[in-house]
Amino acid sequence: MSETMTSKERVQKLFAGEKTDRPACFSGMGNATTEGLNKLGYKFAQVHLDAKQMAETAATTPEIFGFDSCVLPFDLCVEAEALGCQINTYANSEDLLYPTIKEKAIHSEEEMDISIPGDLTERGRIPLMREAIGIVKNNIGDRVPIGSYLLGPFTLAGQIMELNDLLKLSFKKADKVGALLEKLSAVIVAVAKEYEKAGVDYLTVREMGATSDVLSPRSFRKLILPHLKSIFEQISVPSVLHICGKTNDIVVDMKDSGATAISVDQKNDLKETRKNIGKEALVFGNYDPYNVLVSGTPALVKETITKCLDEEASAVWPGCDIWPTVPPENFHAMMEAVRNYGK
Amino acid sequence: MASEERTKEVFAKLKEAVVEYDEDMSKEYAQIALDEDINPNDAIFDGLVSGMQEVGKLFDAQEYFVPELLMCADALYAGLDILKPHVKQMDLGVKGSVVIGTVEGDVHDIGKNIVKMMFDVAGFQVYDLGRDVPLDKFVEEQMKTESDLVCLSAMMTTTMSGMQKVIKDLKEKNPDVKIMIGGAPVSSDIADKFGADGYADNANNALKDAINMIGSLKKMKDEAEGKA
Repeated sequence: MSETMTSKERVQKLFAGEKTDRPACFSGMGNATTEGLNKLGYKFAQVHLDAKQMAETAATTPEIFGFDSCVLPFDLCVEAEALGCQINTYANSEDLLYPTIKEKAIHSEEEMDISIPGDLTERGRIPLMREAIGIVKNNIGDRVPIGSYLLGPFTLAGQIMELNDLLKLSFKKADKVGALLEKLSAVIVAVAKEYEKAGVDYLTVREMGATSDVLSPRSFRKLILPHLKSIFEQISVPSVLHICGKTNDIVVDMKDSGATAISVDQKNDLKETRKNIGKEALVFGNYDPYNVLVSGTPALVKETITKCLDEEASAVWPGCDIWPTVPPENFHAMMEAVRNYGK
Repeated sequence: MASEERTKEVFAKLKEAVVEYDEDMSKEYAQIALDEDINPNDAIFDGLVSGMQEVGKLFDAQEYFVPELLMCADALYAGLDILKPHVKQMDLGVKGSVVIGTVEGDVHDIGKNIVKMMFDVAGFQVYDLGRDVPLDKFVEEQMKTESDLVCLSAMMTTTMSGMQKVIKDLKEKNPDVKIMIGGAPVSSDIADKFGADGYADNANNALKDAINMIGSLKKMKDEAEGKA
């Protein structure tokens, strides 16, 4: 079967639960590549801070590789920055590094009762994000779906305060943490609305901090899941809930969050997941973007991608951000494996 | 000097304090150990560390998760801070100093802190560089302190590749230095590829490895003292 749909049609149909010409191969997380950056002559540390550069860089992944999506931004600091955190882009480092939070907004338990700025969506890089989304929408949005992502409330809390404190307080002062998560959920919805207005076709909520590697399924259900439900209720475009690490114990809860699809990484046993959440549910995953796509061989890439589809992943989708130094031959091998699947 | 029975009771209480993450109880029984002339080193190992071993088992059984592990660690430190000034630095012919930190680009330090805790327990001199540490700093600090162990941590795949560079630099400048890497993305393959001497892929495995390591140090010490 040859390709009869654009990436946009394919992904739209996928989210709608309809048949597609071939499996979609896309992501809701960052996927800037060195290949794309070199083509444009941009530096990774710079593209986070310039709407045009961000938009152009994001567009190179579908353009060069035929990837079924265009996703921006590339870092995890946008919401935290709008809440008053300072970021470090490592502009002077020779190594490729993702921006991180340099200065937290909350320094102690006493400071947890934050007030959300009224002009939140004009702060930090939110205006830049709107502009960048607008550019890609305008340039390639007719044929490629535009995606963006937000942190989940618990993960965002871990960005704006010490994760160490957050985890302990989740036990000792669960009510205080709950109140913070509620405020952050409102922040996430407000930012999601901005992205929707700017033109995204789907949104991924990344709640990596809530993996069963870190937090008990019991805590996840009690403390975090209600907030996720409220967020997904308020997102209008198709949505994806991504949690990495151990997730087999919480896939049913993830599905119950109300997200259109769930996303899991390579630690998830996909066959088991399928058994637990049924044939129809959308599960995206679950190849290892570093050990397979970046440091593996094209043969390993093909084998892994085929396995994802054999295990009934609804779409081929990475377990995390795609690390920029992905070798082009591996990226092409992935797309080829998807196109040839079942032939 | 406390009776054998009383000594055992104090150890059991210290263990319980760690497992139940009760900082006050840990302080109380650490002080009792000192007051009743119980060997502080034994109180650390047979009480606090034994508690941490139990915590490791609960973690494996998925009864405990990272928040509990952190609270147990706080309870251990509460007792350790009282007992440690009364323990003589272990003299085993090993240098007993370690440089530890999370590599640049990574601001996660929970796993690193758990490993650090076990070095503190073992009486190592710990040079903690913190997190988001520029790569050159590890080499610089190792040279300066002449530490024979360096522990590098990276929680994210995206920062892990930085460790390879540090290991190469360290081994070039000092081939004898031992290097441990830790963090969710590391594996034995990665450790081999990067040239590290050991690895731990989560806080609990790091904890277990560190307990094994200091356990064998303690055995060597006991043997040296003719106790075992």
